[in-house]
Amino acid sequence: MKKLVLSIALAIGSVAVFAQNEKFVATMTEQAAAIQANYEGSYMPMANKMERIAAAEAKEWTPQYWSAYCLINETFKLKEAGEKDLLLEKAEVFIEKAEMLSPNNDEIEVLKAQYAMAKLSVDPMSRWQKYGADFQTALKRAEEINPENPRVPYVMGTNIFYTPEGFGGGQAKAKPYFEKALAKFSTFKSATAYAPNWGKEASNYFLSQIK
Amino acid sequence: MKKLFTFLITILSIISANAQTVVSGKITDKKGEILPFANIALEGTYDGASADENGKFSFTTDEKGTKKLLVTMVGFLNAQKEIQLNGQKVEVEIKLEETINSLNAVVVTAGMFEASDEKKMVMLKPLDIVTTAGGNADIVSVMQLLPGSNRVGEREGLFVRGGSANETKTVIDGMIVQNPFFSSTPDVPQRGRFDPFMFKGTAFSTGGYSALYGQALSSVLLLNTQDKLGENTSTTASLNLASAAVSHTHKGWLTGTLYYSNITPLIKLVKNNYDFEKVPEGVGASVSVNENFKNNSSLKIYGTFADNRSAINLPNYDVENTKYLFANTNRNAFTNASYRQSYKDGLWVLNSGVSYSKNIDNLKIGNVMADREDERTQLRAVMSRLYGNNRSSTFNFGAETHWINVSNQFEQNLATLKDHYTAIFAESEMFASPQLAIRLGARAEYSSAIGKYNAVPRISMAYKTGKYSQVSLAGGRFYQNPDKEYLYLNKNLGFESSDHIIANYQIMKLGRTFRTEVFYKKYDNLVVEKGQAFDPNPYRFPTGQTDNSGNGFAQGFDMFFRDQKSLKNGDVWLTYSFLDTERYFRNYPKSVMPYFASKHNMSVVYKQFFTKIATNVGLTFSQSSGRPVYGINEIFGKVEMTKPYQNVSFMASKIKQTANSFLVFYAIVDNVLGRNNVFGYRYSADGTKRYEVNPPMKRMIFFGVSWTFGKLNGRSKEADLNF
Repeated sequence: MKKLVLSIALAIGSVAVFAQNEKFVATMTEQAAAIQANYEGSYMPMANKMERIAAAEAKEWTPQYWSAYCLINETFKLKEAGEKDLLLEKAEVFIEKAEMLSPNNDEIEVLKAQYAMAKLSVDPMSRWQKYGADFQTALKRAEEINPENPRVPYVMGTNIFYTPEGFGGGQAKAKPYFEKALAKFSTFKSATAYAPNWGKEASNYFLSQIK
Repeated sequence: MKKLFTFLITILSIISANAQTVVSGKITDKKGEILPFANIALEGTYDGASADENGKFSFTTDEKGTKKLLVTMVGFLNAQKEIQLNGQKVEVEIKLEETINSLNAVVVTAGMFEASDEKKMVMLKPLDIVTTAGGNADIVSVMQLLPGSNRVGEREGLFVRGGSANETKTVIDGMIVQNPFFSSTPDVPQRGRFDPFMFKGTAFSTGGYSALYGQALSSVLLLNTQDKLGENTSTTASLNLASAAVSHTHKGWLTGTLYYSNITPLIKLVKNNYDFEKVPEGVGASVSVNENFKNNSSLKIYGTFADNRSAINLPNYDVENTKYLFANTNRNAFTNASYRQSYKDGLWVLNSGVSYSKNIDNLKIGNVMADREDERTQLRAVMSRLYGNNRSSTFNFGAETHWINVSNQFEQNLATLKDHYTAIFAESEMFASPQLAIRLGARAEYSSAIGKYNAVPRISMAYKTGKYSQVSLAGGRFYQNPDKEYLYLNKNLGFESSDHIIANYQIMKLGRTFRTEVFYKKYDNLVVEKGQAFDPNPYRFPTGQTDNSGNGFAQGFDMFFRDQKSLKNGDVWLTYSFLDTERYFRNYPKSVMPYFASKHNMSVVYKQFFTKIATNVGLTFSQSSGRPVYGINEIFGKVEMTKPYQNVSFMASKIKQTANSFLVFYAIVDNVLGRNNVFGYRYSADGTKRYEVNPPMKRMIFFGVSWTFGKLNGRSKEADLNF
C-alpha cells in the first residue's frame, strides 16, 4: 500500500515536472525563435520575457543566455553611450549567472565575445585594450570547448568585417571566416530547440555584401 | 461519495480555468513621468508583461491568492507590490526610484583631472596621454599641458598652482613612489620612469584631494595599473633613437620587459649643446604579474630594476669658460604588490599593498665623490564598505605606514635621516541623490623624524545643476614633512601646511567639454633659512639656521575647453590658467613670487586621426609668461622676468596591422620653430656674470618603431604609440 501511494505520488510529481518542463520547452522554443528572427524591432519586450523565465527557472542557463543576448543586441540600436553601458551592466549579470549554471559552455563564451564587442563599440579608441583582449580570449575558449561551433568564425568575421583595412581588417579578410562559418553551420545541430542557433542567415548576408 | 468528489473536482477545475485574473497598470518614475519597457513579473511564474511606450501594461494569469508583482527596469531600483489574485481585475500604479549610477550621478570634480575609460564625466582618456604632441608619451609632460600646472623647463616634476615640485606626490596603486623620475642632473629635465601603458587610469589633482592621501602640500598624481588583459601571448620589440626594448607577455598574466637605452643616435642626429664624457646609457628590466582568482580577488605584482650611467660636463659658472664633471651611476629598484578582495557580493572591498623601493646615486661632482641613497618600505590597507541606493555611496577607512631612510654623503660629510611615518584615514562619499554628492574625510599622521602629529579634515561636494552641468567644491588642510635637505640638519622642524579651497563648474555635452575652476591656497609653517645672503642656485646644499616661520598664498583660475565633435576624428583642447602667488620660504628674505611660477600658462592641443591611412597626427602649441629672475644678493625690488616660453610640437604615428603582427611608426618634433627658450639664469660666485639656462636641444627630432607579434588583441590601437 505504502509503495503504491509512493509510486502514485512519484507519478503525479513527475507529471507535474513534465508539465512544467513542457511549458518551459514550449515557451523557450517560441521565444528563442522570435529573438533570432528579430532584426527591426526593440529587443526589450523579449529581454523582459526571458528575464521573467530566468527568474522562475533558476536552474536553466538558456533564459539567462537569451536575456543577455537581447540586452547586448539592443545596445546596437541605441545612441547614447551611457545607456548602452547601463544595459551592458545588466547583461553582464545574466552572463555570470549563465556561466555559473553551465560552466565551460562554448555558446556562453561566444556571447561573452559579443558582450566585449558591444562594450568596445561604445568607445573603441580607448576600450580596445581591455575589451579587444576579452573578445579574443572568449572566442579562443569557445573554440577550445567546441571546435565545431559555427558562431566562433561568424563573430570573428563580423569583427574583421567592420575593422578598417589599415588595422588589419576589411571585407576581403573577413570572407574566409564567413565561409568557414557556413561550412560549420551545414553540419551544426543545436542541442535543443531553444539553444542558440543564430548566425547562418547573417553569414550569408555578409558574404553577399563582400565583393 | 465518489460522485461528490468527482463533482467537486470538476467544479474546481472549471472555476480555476475561468478564474483568470487580469492585472494591468502603469509604471512611472517618482515624478510621474512614464517609463516605457519596464518588466513586470509575477514572482515565480512566467506571467507578466513589458510596459508599452506609454508605460502601460496588462496581462492575465491563472495564479491565485496573494502574489508578489516584481517590477524591474534598467536605471531604476527594483520595486514590488503584493496583489490579490481572485479573478477580479487588478489595477496598480507603480512608481520607480531612479538608481544612482554612472550615467546620472554627479561626480566630485573640483581639483581633479581624471583620465579613465570607464568613468563618466572625465575629461581625458588614458590614450590621450600617448597621442598628445608635446607630451612625448610621458605622463607628467602631458599633465603639464593641463590647467593648474606650471611649465618649468629645466627641471622634472609637477609644479602645481604655485607649489614646488616637492609638493606633488606620485602614487601607484595607493603606494607613494619615492623616485618617479630618472635621477636629476642640474638643468637637464628627466623623464618619468613609468610607461604610460602600464596604467588604466590617471588622476591628476590640482588641490583639495581626498583624505586617502597625504604628505603633499599641492597635488597628488594617482596612477592605477592595468588589470589582467585577456589570455594572449605576444611579444613586442621596439627601437628608437634612444633605446631598444623587448617585452613578452605570457598568457596575459605574466609580462617581462628588458631594455637598453643609449642616446648616442639621438645626439648624433640632433644638434645639441650636451658635452658628454659618457653618453647616458642604461639597462633595465621589469616583471609584472596580474592574476584574477575565483574567490573575487586579484593580485598584482610589479617589480622593476634600472641601472643608468652618465657623465656630463656642465658649465662652471664661477670660472668663465670652464666646466666641471657631473657623473652619476644610478641604480633604482621599485617593487609593489597589491591584493584586492571583495566580500559579500562586493559589499565590502579590501585593497592592500606592500611596496619597497631603493635608489642609489653614486655621484662624482668635479673631483668630489658624493652619494645619495634613499629607501622606502610601505604597507597600506584600505577597507571600503558600499552602501545606499545601488551601492553608490562608499565608506573607506584604512592605514598606511612607511619606513624611510635617506642619506647624503658629500666627501667626508654624511647626513642621514630616518623616518617612520604612519597615517590613519577615513572618508565617506555619500550620494544624497543622483544630483548631490558629499565627501567628508579625516586623516591623522605621525612622523618619527620630527616627532610630531597632525590631524586634518577634508571635504568636497558636487551638485548637478542640469543634465550636463555641475558645480563642485573642495577644501581641506594638507601637511607635509619639510624637505630632507632641511631635516638632515634640523630635526626640530615641524610639518609645513597648506589650506585649499576650490570651486569648479563644468559642462559636458555631446563631445564638447567646458570647465573652469577658481582656487585659493594658503601656505603656513614653510621652512625658512635665516641670516643668509640670497643665493639663487637651486642645487645648493642649505646649511643655515632654519625654522617654520614661512608662509604664502596662491590664487587664480583656469579654464579648459575640449571639442571632439566639430571635426570628424579630430580633437581640440584649449587651456588657460592664471596664477597669482607669493611666498616667504627657503632662502627668500621676504614674500615674493617664487622662481618657478609664471602668471599665465596656455596651450592648444590638436589631434587628427586619418582612418584610411591609419595615421594619427598631433600639433601642440604652448606658451607661458615669464618667470621671475632673482640674482645673487638680490634686493627683491623691481623684479626682472624671463622672456615668455613658447613651444610648437608635432607628432605623427602610423599603424600597420596584419593578422598576427602589429607595426607602429612614430615621429616627434619638439620646438618646431626652434625658439630659444630661456628658463632662468645661473650666476658666477661674485654675481657679476650670468648665464642663460636653455634646453639642451633647441629643436628635437625623435622617431622609432614598435612591432608586436603573436596573438593580438583585435585592433590594438593602444599599442600604436608604444614609445
